[in-house]
Formats: sequence, structure tokens, C-alpha cells
Amino acid sequence: MAKVTDMVLWDKPGEKVLLLGNQAIARGALEANIAVYAAYPGTPSSELTDTMAIVAKKAGVYMEYSTNEKVAFETALAAAWSGLRAMTAMKHVGLNVAADTFLSSVGMGVEGGFVIMVADDPSMWSSQNEQDTRVYAKFANVPVLEPSSPHEAKEMTKYAFELSEKFKHFVILRTTTRTSHARGDVVLGELPEEIKAGKRKFGKFKKDPNRFVDVPANARKFHPIILEKIEKIREEFNDMPFNWIEGDESAKVGIIAPGLAYAYVKEALHWLGVEDVKVLKLGTPFPVPYGLLEKFMDSLEKVLIVEELEPVVEEQVKTWAYDRGLRIPIHGKDLVPRVYEMTTRRAVTAIAKFLGIDVPLDYGELDAKYNKALEIVPPRPPSLCPACPHRNSFYAIKKATRARGIYPSDIGCYTLGLLPPLNAVDTTVAMGGSIGIAHGLEIAQHGSLSEEQRKKEKKVIVATIGDSTFYHTGLPALANAIYNRSNVLIVVLDNLVTAMTGDQPNPSTGQTPHGMGKRIPIEDVARAMGADFVEVVDPYDIKKTYEVMKKALEVEGVSVVVSRQVCALYKIGQMRRRGEKWPIYYVDEEACTGCKVCINAYGCPAIYWDEEKRQARIEPSMCWGCGGCAQICPFGAFKPVEEGEE
Amino acid sequence: MKVREYNIVIAGVGGQGVLTAANILGWAALRAGYKVRMGEVHGMSQRFGSVVSYVRFGEEVYGSMVPEGKGDVILGFEPVEALRYINHLRQGGMVVVNTKPIVPVQVSMGKARYPEIDEIKKIVEEDFQAKWIGFNAEELAIKAGHVVTTNTVLIGALTQIPEFPLDAEHVREVIRLSVPPKAVDMNMKAFDLGIEAAKEILGL
Repeated sequence: MAKVTDMVLWDKPGEKVLLLGNQAIARGALEANIAVYAAYPGTPSSELTDTMAIVAKKAGVYMEYSTNEKVAFETALAAAWSGLRAMTAMKHVGLNVAADTFLSSVGMGVEGGFVIMVADDPSMWSSQNEQDTRVYAKFANVPVLEPSSPHEAKEMTKYAFELSEKFKHFVILRTTTRTSHARGDVVLGELPEEIKAGKRKFGKFKKDPNRFVDVPANARKFHPIILEKIEKIREEFNDMPFNWIEGDESAKVGIIAPGLAYAYVKEALHWLGVEDVKVLKLGTPFPVPYGLLEKFMDSLEKVLIVEELEPVVEEQVKTWAYDRGLRIPIHGKDLVPRVYEMTTRRAVTAIAKFLGIDVPLDYGELDAKYNKALEIVPPRPPSLCPACPHRNSFYAIKKATRARGIYPSDIGCYTLGLLPPLNAVDTTVAMGGSIGIAHGLEIAQHGSLSEEQRKKEKKVIVATIGDSTFYHTGLPALANAIYNRSNVLIVVLDNLVTAMTGDQPNPSTGQTPHGMGKRIPIEDVARAMGADFVEVVDPYDIKKTYEVMKKALEVEGVSVVVSRQVCALYKIGQMRRRGEKWPIYYVDEEACTGCKVCINAYGCPAIYWDEEKRQARIEPSMCWGCGGCAQICPFGAFKPVEEGEE
Repeated sequence: MKVREYNIVIAGVGGQGVLTAANILGWAALRAGYKVRMGEVHGMSQRFGSVVSYVRFGEEVYGSMVPEGKGDVILGFEPVEALRYINHLRQGGMVVVNTKPIVPVQVSMGKARYPEIDEIKKIVEEDFQAKWIGFNAEELAIKAGHVVTTNTVLIGALTQIPEFPLDAEHVREVIRLSVPPKAVDMNMKAFDLGIEAAKEILGL
């Protein structure tokens, strides 16, 4: 098979390829002749950015991994102001970070097409909350396009640029996990000559302070302009190619299916064997086109809206129907759950209830059988990888604080330090939040106590934050803590890559997709800001790491320890590709006393318990050779295998 | 004769190559002229946690997830992981599974119990009326040359189950094109060992 990233740039119109939803969107942007792309990675949006990173240079597109969503947004926006087609992408919570710029700039509009891809994560497979971007879009009065398949995602991306340019307005392309991370057959379209030639496009910014400076006098003019635009776009959506009516024309019942819900509705109708129903396939959940709605609702006696998460379409349809004096039952969130993601089961159940027919499967019986099966299934949450340097960092923090600290943490793989046996994460809220929360906790814990009480009850506060997160939104919080004379230890878990979202570079690595940028060492930043103690440690040396943590805890003020060691998953991946081997460890049966320190305090997934021999064992296929186990074992039972073996 | 819809659920532990296996089956289906939909897990959930991937193909497929009670087969890379997604299997479906356990940390810590393989098999066969095709695929992979070919062994076995709609040689070709050149021979051997194992269990 050709490499996927090659296929994204294939000059083979009409060729059918298997692409991930996010890769299909990248292809769509290239087919639309995109010029500038800037984003911060976030699951489930990351592969769009990663794909652009790989193809950008060849396609003559400027691409960057920005330090956070707000600056990414601004980068792309300014390019669009300069007449170029530009795009930014983020996950739903990333839009919160970009929200300040987003809501303030929407009235200024754009010159070149500007597409904001936002990937929602219903059911929170990899997220801290479940927010519906369509609500944001409605709030900002920005139109939303929502694809129902990978191929449609590609086509819609292309259309999104045209739409944006036509109305000089922002366009949101909203996906969910199951669109971004679905693979499907995609038919390649034509690539523009400039993309094929890899010719970089340049824009021109035309000064217009009345438009681009939102002092109140100017800003006051924007809001009515935005409202006017959205009503024109509503008109436009009456006959755009991703909205249509299908099914039995004479049917008395109708189903409205926005975005991916259309896929579930199609499956459900087939499974139920229902044919006498009209379906409104809606690619534009906001604004709902009234003309098409009127055509659809005509002669219907009842309607069901099957949509994921918030009743965004439902509220628009109900408002419209009320205003028109239409008094037919309109169902939605009374039959379709408002929380978690849509499934075929949910669509089948809702439609069956709506039509008063039986579901095709006895779900009660299935659930009972399944619950019985689950009784013997042990939990298997994700865990820090074998050889993850930050298992050691957490281990050293716990030891240095004698497990009596409070441990605010942040967003990244290291949030998994939450799990037993480490139990080293007490709070996680949002990107960069660990440092702010640590400072707040310090004030709360110590601020109102008398000196004597304070000494007696003193709890040390140790915040952990990753390298990418540190640069994302950790910086202002660090400045705040130092400025306000906080007394906290901040451990930056620097693994020199943005690991959780797929090994993207960041200022701590200095790498960019196009070679070296400028590396910004975290310790330099901390020193420059005036931290009271700054030191760098290698967490693979557990003893030294512990000693430095202890020293840092004795300092009154803000201490920053940069715990630096390259991400194990990243390193092993690279070694595998180069065909290199690494040393692995085994348990010396003579030496192992069965004390379980390795399991109950360290918790490497490669170490398991041999029930018969009452000893620890290492699963050789999972050992990545860091030797951390050998350092923490009080009896020296972990030893490297003589011959290196992968 | 083309199938209208065929649903495969691939379950395992992050790092076992679940996604790679899904991709191979997806491409084989696409090359066989089917419409394809696949759903997969990314991000933090991949870190040695439970992982599931769906491969659906046929004349009419829409969503990327195999609906509950609609799976034709569960391809289990690990025994309890096969059971964790058993609600996706249809009555009379198949479970093709590697019987070599990967014990979760919680079990090692004594906070949970790992079931006997026979307990899992009993639930699959009795409660879900499904056929159990279990064997130690990891052992066969090591025999083929390396433990990383475990997923190829399992795909080989999968192609032998009754009414599997993709041709085994056709799937083999996709594997040949997908793996690095120096790993081709090893994977071809692993594929054959998987075929043999399934044939023996199925009495073919």
C-alpha cells in the first residue's frame, strides 16, 4: 500500500483510497488550494494537522504547529485577512482557548477563505468535557458544516473555503470522534496547479483600521453585519450540495438527521425495515435552512430529530415551527439521549419508539448477558508506557513528599499518573491549569492559618505539567505564581515531544516540520521569570531525581524542576524503524523476595505477578529497557538480559 | 456474491497492532470492491489500555462502529479483551482469539482477578451462542520469526472461518504490500500458521 500521506498528495483524480476522516479533510484543503495552515494538536483533531505537516512543504503550503489554539487561530486568521485560503484546527476544548480572538474577530470577516475545523469528542474518549461546538457557532453566528462520512468530509472542506470566501465570513467544519477517526473510501478530486507544483502563495494585507481595529466605535458596527450575513447564509443552505431530502415523498413522518447522525439513521431504518419515511439529511446544523425545512415539513404529521449532544437543530426547528403556527409533534431530546455519543442502537431505539414499532433486538436480554460477562472482565485502563520517564518522576515526587503532598496536574499522557499505584494526580482541569491551581491551593492551604498551625499541618504542593502544555498556557500561570510569591514546586515533565496527541514537536524540542526552529529550554524561561530554584534532572536516574526534588521542596518560593528524558514511546518507535535493538530486563528468581514494591509502588505494565511462585516477572515483549525497576527494587532482583533483544 | 454488510470487531491491548490489522482488512475489502467504514481509537486510550477497532464493509455501510449485536466476528488479540466487546457480537457469531493473556496491572496488584480461559470460552459459547476459535497466536508468531507477527497469525486464522467474504490469498497480498520488505517472509509464514491453526480447530 502506498503511504497514506503520499495518497493525500496523489495526483490521481477519480482514484478510490481508504483515508481517515482527518486525512480526507487535509486532502480537501489541498484540493481547495489552501495556502496557510496553523494548529495546536488535540485528539480527535490531531491527524489533520500531522498530515498537513508531512505534505505542506511539497504542496507549497505554510504550516506550523503553534503553541496554542489562540495563536494558531490568529496566524491563520491574519493569512485569511491577507487574501489567502487559511485553516486552523483544534479539538472542542481548544476552541475555548481560541474563543477570545474567535468571538472578537468574527465581525471583521475575512478576504481569503477561512475554515476552522473543530473536532468534538462525544463520550469523552480522550477529553475532559463533552461540549457541542455547534452551540459555540450559534453563539458566534458562524455557520457550521458537519460531514456524515470521510468522503463527504473532504468535499465539505473544499466547499467550506468557497462559502467562506463568498460571504467573507468564518466557517466552522465540525466533526466528532467518529468522523475524524473513521476510515472510509474517499474518491480523490483534482489538485490545483499551484499545489501540484508546490508553489508557495503569498497574500497582501490591505490596511483598513475601521475594520481590523475593534475599538468600541468600530465594534458596534459589527454585530448587525454578522446577523445579516448569517441570514444570507441560511438562504444559501437551501440548496447547497450537502443538504437534501430523501425517502418516500408521500410519507407522513419525517426524520431530520444532521451530520454523522445521518449514517446512524440510515442504518437504523434499514435494520428496522422502515421505508415510508422522509429523511432530511442536514449538512448544516447551523443555520438550519428554512426553505428546505418548509419543503420537508410540508404534509408531514410528525417529525423526529436525531442529533448527537445538544438540541441545536431541534431548537431551531421548533422555533421556526412555532413562528409559522405549525402544530405537529416535533420530537428530539425526549427520545434521543442528550449525553454521550450517538450509536446505531440509540438511533434504532429512538426511531422504533417514535414510530411505535418493535426494536429488532432484545437489548434487555443482551445487556443482561453482557453484564454477566463483564463480571469476570478485569479493568484495563490506559497506563503510562513501559520505560515512561515520568513514572520515575512521579515515583520520586511521591518519595520526596513522603506521599503527603497535594498534586495538581495537567492535560497530557502524564494525567495517567492518577492511576494506582502512583496516585500522584489530585487535580486536572484544563491545559496549563496545574500551575494556577497549585498557586490557588497554596494560598488556600496556608493563607489563613497561624504560623504554628501552618507548620504543623503544612502540605507541600507539587504541580506537574508537560513540556508542550507548559508552553501552551503554563507560562502566564508561572509568571503569576512567581510574581505573587507563591510557595510551590512545579515539575515540568519534559519528554521533548507532545506525546499524547502523536509526537508533535514543540518549543522544548525546537524541531518544526520543516527542520530546526529555535529551541527554547524550559529552565531558561523559568530562570528568566525569576523562579527561586531551577534545576534539570534526568528521571532515569531515580535517586538523583529524588534528591533534587527534596532540595527544591526546602526552598521557600517557586521552585521549578525540569525532569527531562525523551518520551519512551517515541524513542522505541524510532528505534524500531531503524531496526535497532534495546536491552531488556528479567527477574532473578534467586533474588526476588516477592515484596511487590515494583508492582505496588512503581507499576510498570511490563511487570506482572507470578501467582504460583509468588514473585514478580517481566513480560519480555513489553520491556523497553529503561532499568527503572532495577533502581527501585530493594533486593536487586531486576537484571538486564545479557544479549540485547528487541 | 457480494455481502450487504460484514462486521469485524478487533479487540486487544494498546501496542498489540490492532490498528495495523484493521487497516489490512480495510484495504483488502476496498480492493475487493466494497464500501468500507472503520472506526478506531486514538490518543491517550492507546497507552496499554483496552483498545477496539471496527472494520465494516459491504454494499451498504454507513457508521464506523459495529452496532451492538451486529458483529459477525470478534478478532481478539487478548482473551479478556475479546470478552470486553462481546456485546457487539451477533447470535451465532465467531470469536477468533489469541489465548495468551496480558495481565493488567490491577490484577498484579491484587485488586482484580484474571479469569480462566475456560470461563471466558464458556460465556462465549453458552451465553452468546458463538463459536470459539482460540489458540496461542503469540507462540505461532514467535515460531514465524517474531512476536510482532501475532496480528498476522490472527488474520490468517480469520480468513478461514465459514462464509468469510474476503479471499485469503487476496488478504495475503495486502499484507505483503503493507509490511516492510524485510518482514515479508516472516509475515507470510505467520499468515500460514494462522490458517493452519484455524483449519485444525474447525476440522477443515
